[in-house]
Amino acid sequence: MGDESVPSLLDQGTTKTYQIPIGHLDYKFIEKCTDVKHLEKILRVLRSGEEGCYPDLTLFCEKRIEHLDPGSRALRKDKPAATASDFTAEEWETINGELMSWMTEMREDDHKPQFLGTDTLLEGQDNLPPIRCSSSCLPANQNEKLQNKQRYKKNIPRDYSEWDKFDVEKECSKIDEGGEENNSKSRFFNRPSLPLIEKKIDTTGMTKKEKVFIATREKEKGNEAFASGDYMEAVTYYTRSISVLPTAAAYNNKAQAEIKLQDWDSALQDCEKVLDMEPNNVKALMRRATVNNQLKNYETAIEDLNKVLCIEPENAVAKKNLLETEKKLKGLKPVSKTEGKGKRILIEEIEDSEGSEERGENAEECGRSSGDKGRRQAAGPAAMGSAQRKAQGAKAEGREQRRDPAGTADPKGTAEEGAQRPEQQGEADGYSNGEGARGSPAEQQPPGAHGDGSTSLPPAAAELKREGNELFKGGQFGEAVLRYSEAIEHVVGLGEQIPDDLSILYSNRAACYLKEGNCSDCIQDCNRALELQAFSLKPLLRRAMAYESMERYRQAYVDYKTVLQIDSSIQAANDSVNRITKTLIDQDGSSWREKLPPIPVVPVAAQQHRWDGGNFTSEVKPSNTTDTNGEEQLQMNREKAEEEFKTLKNEGNDFVKNGKYEEAVNKYSECMKLNDKECTIYTNRALCYLKLYKYEEAKQDCDHVLQIEDSNIKAFYRRALAYKGLQNYQASVDDLNKVLLIDPNILEAKNELEQVTQLLNLGSSAVTGSLQKQRKKITIQEVTESDEQEEGQFAASEDVVTDDDTSKEEVQKSTPLKTSEKLTISEPSNAYDFGQIINVVNANKDKVACADLLTITDPKKLPVLLSNKLEVETFLIFIQSLEYYVLGKDPSLVYQHLFYLSKAERFKVVLGLLSKNEKEQVQQLFDLLAENQNHQYSSEDLESLKKVYEL
Amino acid sequence: MAAAAGPERPQVVAHVQQALSYTLFDCKWVPRSARLLCLGSAARGTGVVQLYELRAGRLELLREIEKAKPIKCGTFGAASLQQRYLATGDFGGSLNVWNLEAPEIPVYSVKGHKEIINSIDGVGGLGIGEGAPEIVTGSRDGTVKVWDPRQKDTPVANMEPVQGESKRDCWTVAFGNAYTQEERVVCAGYDNGDIKLFDLKTMSLRWETNIKNGVCSVEFDRKDVNMNKLVATSLEGKFHVFDMRTQHPTKGFASVSEKAHKSTIWQVRHLPQNRDIFMTSGGAGSLHLWKYEYPAQRSKKDSEGAEMGVAGSVSLLQNVTLSTQPISSLDWSPDKKGLCVCGAFDQTVRVLIVTKLNKV
Repeated sequence: MGDESVPSLLDQGTTKTYQIPIGHLDYKFIEKCTDVKHLEKILRVLRSGEEGCYPDLTLFCEKRIEHLDPGSRALRKDKPAATASDFTAEEWETINGELMSWMTEMREDDHKPQFLGTDTLLEGQDNLPPIRCSSSCLPANQNEKLQNKQRYKKNIPRDYSEWDKFDVEKECSKIDEGGEENNSKSRFFNRPSLPLIEKKIDTTGMTKKEKVFIATREKEKGNEAFASGDYMEAVTYYTRSISVLPTAAAYNNKAQAEIKLQDWDSALQDCEKVLDMEPNNVKALMRRATVNNQLKNYETAIEDLNKVLCIEPENAVAKKNLLETEKKLKGLKPVSKTEGKGKRILIEEIEDSEGSEERGENAEECGRSSGDKGRRQAAGPAAMGSAQRKAQGAKAEGREQRRDPAGTADPKGTAEEGAQRPEQQGEADGYSNGEGARGSPAEQQPPGAHGDGSTSLPPAAAELKREGNELFKGGQFGEAVLRYSEAIEHVVGLGEQIPDDLSILYSNRAACYLKEGNCSDCIQDCNRALELQAFSLKPLLRRAMAYESMERYRQAYVDYKTVLQIDSSIQAANDSVNRITKTLIDQDGSSWREKLPPIPVVPVAAQQHRWDGGNFTSEVKPSNTTDTNGEEQLQMNREKAEEEFKTLKNEGNDFVKNGKYEEAVNKYSECMKLNDKECTIYTNRALCYLKLYKYEEAKQDCDHVLQIEDSNIKAFYRRALAYKGLQNYQASVDDLNKVLLIDPNILEAKNELEQVTQLLNLGSSAVTGSLQKQRKKITIQEVTESDEQEEGQFAASEDVVTDDDTSKEEVQKSTPLKTSEKLTISEPSNAYDFGQIINVVNANKDKVACADLLTITDPKKLPVLLSNKLEVETFLIFIQSLEYYVLGKDPSLVYQHLFYLSKAERFKVVLGLLSKNEKEQVQQLFDLLAENQNHQYSSEDLESLKKVYEL
Repeated sequence: MAAAAGPERPQVVAHVQQALSYTLFDCKWVPRSARLLCLGSAARGTGVVQLYELRAGRLELLREIEKAKPIKCGTFGAASLQQRYLATGDFGGSLNVWNLEAPEIPVYSVKGHKEIINSIDGVGGLGIGEGAPEIVTGSRDGTVKVWDPRQKDTPVANMEPVQGESKRDCWTVAFGNAYTQEERVVCAGYDNGDIKLFDLKTMSLRWETNIKNGVCSVEFDRKDVNMNKLVATSLEGKFHVFDMRTQHPTKGFASVSEKAHKSTIWQVRHLPQNRDIFMTSGGAGSLHLWKYEYPAQRSKKDSEGAEMGVAGSVSLLQNVTLSTQPISSLDWSPDKKGLCVCGAFDQTVRVLIVTKLNKV
């Protein structure tokens, strides 16, 4: 129709209103025209019908305008209100249903006397500000000039009748032309600085309904502020909402705003609050994953993401994030591994490094495998439930010590997480006393920690025992049992009378059984061990745990009590006793004590700690219980030593007060010769070392204390300071967190934590190094621990035989040497052995041993043996040993070592971390090497190697 | 057909229509209830207050109160949630506060203005806005007065033209910026296009501008936040959105304007549950639902280093035409998101449901 009419209109010139050539009212013209304004005019002409009615052309023109400018005003049409026909039946139902339920709710409210009727105008609002000063009169027109200038238009208000004649279009176009000048005429008054918005709302006297009402509104304000990009304001309003009524939604939104502000810690806290209220809140899980991702806690992030995928298998964002996080985790594997481990170790103290390393890997793998599962689920959501179950099964299978799935369901924050792990692990292992795993220093030791040094075992048995210890450390308890059994057979077969060692073997095997959950065998072994060596701490403790898990509480109680008689400081035993007491009271009523088997009385000689009296007790092992003479002598010695100890300690304290730290250290060291179990001496000496900037020594003292008393707050704090001094900030943070966990009110720790966290954030590149360091140092603790065990035994016998003329310091000095000598006998076969030796070497700065080690080690293997464990400390001791001990014997070996050292992983990193001084050491070695020129390497080789070393 | 309803667009449904026998000037939801009030002028020149309750698809008249003078406007803004006293302004220039349970005598009454009170607003009640409850009235006598119900007879603040100055008809007033006990502003719009922003804390005129045509309605997007946006509608069918966060020393507040209704925009009301959505009502019986979109950066530095605001944009979410007569009053339910009442000069009150506001 339009098509035909257009040509005939061509000659008629232009349209009436806009003077558009009639020819423009044409499909072809409209199709090609890109001038929206022109098209709008055409549309108006067409709609007005003044040139005839062309519905198709009008529609076509509308479509064309929509194509060019979807927001064009010309397209707006008057429309009637929507009716039921505009909705699907379902939608209509929902709309009406919602309204109905709202009306019902409102009516119910009306009938309840929720609002107290009061007659006074404003009752209960006494906290209102005073009435505004009534004399305030404000002239509305302050600037006459401006006013007059603006009054160029007619400004007499229009009569209502006049409005009908008002031509809107004309007025509009006028405004369009001069629209922007308005603002320039605005007046300005200085804006006062913004006062803060109250973070809390006074809710006194409000009904629940009112609170809900206000909390919702504050939350909405937060949402709006968030939408406008003002995240600070959003957080404020969410906080206000929470102050009225804490809701998951408000916390959740607050977390999101805090994520935008990069306030990770607060965001984490808020996410956790949401998850406390709603454990399956997908948003909170996603947000916590984001936060953890930012905090580099990739494993935790992955857990959360997996959980999200468990709830919503189709969640594309979660899938994407999961992939990314996994990638990051993979990329940073060494780092995250050590990080995770570092944390865990701190709490586990001496759970051996290898085991937890493996755990880290396993956790990772499991994470990934369940991630894979998650993805597979997405492909086939029908299989979702079972797939997830499988994934969890896989996790559990993956490793015995894996955290139990229940634990996964409710992961805690990073700081707590470390603390949680051993507990959960303990549960998974079949102990019922989770804290036991953490609290008792004796139990945490690898079974082989003592006895390594005692050479009374026949070599074959010793070897078997060593292997057993290794396996135990590696978590292969079944294998370890076999080794120990062999060793026991061997010893028994020889018919030798070495009850101490045999007892240890039984005790170790008991530990394996306990780990495996084989309680009855564990008890048997403990019995044997105790037959051989009465009142030995570890077998007693293990038997107690085994009894407890078998729910033979009375026996467990007796054993724990016995343990406490020997060493009252074992927290795990204390806890367990309390717990069992409760159980027994429940079970047997008030007369529970009568049903107990008799508790054996532990001879004084077997008692180790008595904190209450502050008495000095020697660390005598009950090896000589039969020797009454020895006991008497011991008693005398003890009394004498006790007095001496007290005087020395007081002298030391006085020196500290006067700031003479060196002298104090000496006094304390003497004290330790008398009694190395008194924690305060160690913490005091650690303080002195800190003052003397001897951080390594301070750390060692603290480590020692923490092995004895795992919640010694002073030791944690001082170790944190020592770590800070050693620039191991991560470890320092961990320790400080531990301090605050024990007592959150310690201000110094808080301040320190802030400082250290800042330092930590400063050098993120250095973090890798320090983490590495931390990891390794912990392993040293293990070694020193075993030393001290031996030492204890040595000292004990010496105490008896001689009169304190053998100083323990000497023993301490000689032991590492002995260890390293022993270790260097065999060439390290794998990276783990090598690492162990290096740890010892590093701990003692034993260059001789290091030189020996390097001499027997094939340089070519160095990169493999070092794997990714190379760090500054190791590097330096290598350089020093090579320089002092190897260079003189075999310069070419030095060259070879240097050459292969440069091929090791992390070499570049270490190089980058060297200080100027340290670089000079390397330079010196190269200079010496050049002097001792040898046919095996040319000066060119040396030069090029020097370049590799960036000299 | 751009306005064709996409599935996710909000729809405006006329839920209930109720014909009235008098001229309706203002309608208001009673907070925490499904009841609404209609205020107007009966044919014989008296004031009418009708209380309706929304019940299954109809409005039931609960109460009708007749007063001596036609009532132009009302607010619950200064009333507590417990009491819900209504403050009204009438043709005689009186401000009254009524207890609707006992409406015979006002609980507060003052002859505040010489002529009709065109507009009224309240703050500090209903939990909206920190600080004291206050009522502001704007009148044809050219004054804007702030009242504290605790103080009889005299206003606590009076904004009037200086002596000798011709008096402008104040058409609209609104409170804003009441986010602390001290902060509070009043915005007033006049028949000559003036918009004035009075700071009650410093008792000064903080800002003024002129939008050339009579200002029919002003409203802050929220009264109880650090003032964020202000919408002002005008006689000639245009409205301006000012970003009130950043005030430039010379240029004032940045704004964006939009032409809508081909007639006077009588009212603007922000959705109480989302300050970035607002509805305008037009002289031709139409309602437009808008959304304000923030720019990427809300402020920038000018060449001299002074902060200046950047205006965002507005987009039309929906428009409907309900009547041929102007829609003079509009009120969102504070309790039910999307529920809305509007009164038109065709002597009809309509309850509307706006759907899908969550998805905007």
